Amino acid sequence: MNTIKTTVAALALFGVAPLAMAHHSAIQFDFTKQVAYTGTVKEFKAINPHMTMTIEVKDAKGVHEVQFEGHSTNNMYRSGYRKGMMNVGETVTVNCAPQKDGKEGGYVVSVATANGGFFGMKSRNLAQDAAATKSLAEGK
Amino acid sequence: MNDMKRTSALVAAAMATVLAGVALAAAPARPDFTGVWTNAGAPGIGGATRGGGPAPLPLRPEAKARVDAYQKLVGPVGDSPGGWCLGYGMPSSMLSSGGYPMEIVQRPEQFTITYEAHTEMRRFYLGARNAPQADRIPGRNGYSSAHWEGNTLVVETDNLVDQVDQRWAHSDEAKIVERYHLEDKPDAQGRRVLVADMVMTDPKFYTAPVTEQKRWAEVPNGRLLPYECPEEFWNHRLEELAKKAGVPLP
Repeated sequence: MNTIKTTVAALALFGVAPLAMAHHSAIQFDFTKQVAYTGTVKEFKAINPHMTMTIEVKDAKGVHEVQFEGHSTNNMYRSGYRKGMMNVGETVTVNCAPQKDGKEGGYVVSVATANGGFFGMKSRNLAQDAAATKSLAEGK
Repeated sequence: MNDMKRTSALVAAAMATVLAGVALAAAPARPDFTGVWTNAGAPGIGGATRGGGPAPLPLRPEAKARVDAYQKLVGPVGDSPGGWCLGYGMPSSMLSSGGYPMEIVQRPEQFTITYEAHTEMRRFYLGARNAPQADRIPGRNGYSSAHWEGNTLVVETDNLVDQVDQRWAHSDEAKIVERYHLEDKPDAQGRRVLVADMVMTDPKFYTAPVTEQKRWAEVPNGRLLPYECPEEFWNHRLEELAKKAGVPLP
């Protein structure tokens, strides 16, 4: 429930009505690009139809939060995720397809945890990873 | 006399057994579609055989206006039925279903199909198992009756509701015929391949039948994963109730 509180608070922060919790298609993400963020997990939920995650990043802009969404729980399990892999406070590196409008965050392509955990697309070709992620995200 | 009665009873029982055996032997063996199937385009997840296809659907002008209006409404925000935990509906549940696998459980009188995405379900009824027409409740996946034509399972679906919100939009007058068969040879990975040829007719929406083909490959010893989706909405409702009541979450 704590994660729910965090999400509700975050939604309230962005002026989103409570029932606008539904997740959207992947139309707002640019799957021709990949951006990596490293930070500590503030919130993580393996839910359907799309996972959500917020990490705290420290960079030239200072300390700030970056939000992501990604695949369904089912597809996360098929790509290596297991319960307990993601914990609040842990350091992770997130590869994502960035938002088209230039805002931070994006659609998760893969996540690597500091203790060696990994889930998502992982090949020698980042473009292939992004294309595979896009195909799944769009339900094709 | 008692001996004669016993003998007659034994003969009758033996004849019944023989006739039952003959009847069983006469029943044609049907292909068994039972199993978990994934898109044949790629192993595991993803890889639909044919998306909506490059060719535009033969929409009537008034139907196209509705589809365009829908796209204009949801396009900018990327909303979709699935985003709100609503199933795809036919024919998208069969042709797409987000690239997730499906499971078929086959009995002589009924097929039960579970599409993993949104745990969407269809049932194909055969023969006397069918419900009377008046008892068939309209829905996004309609009502499906089926029969065999040789080794091909023919599934006829009607009682669909109007769905402008899917890739193969249609009205409540749409009728869909699917013809399922197993390919003679396994694919390159040795998997059985199931094929469905679909024809959708809808005089309200289309000027010509819409045809598509979908191919699946069997997942040996495969299992569908659970797909709970509305739970987040329920959790949020509990949060809301607790907040209004001024009490902590139970």
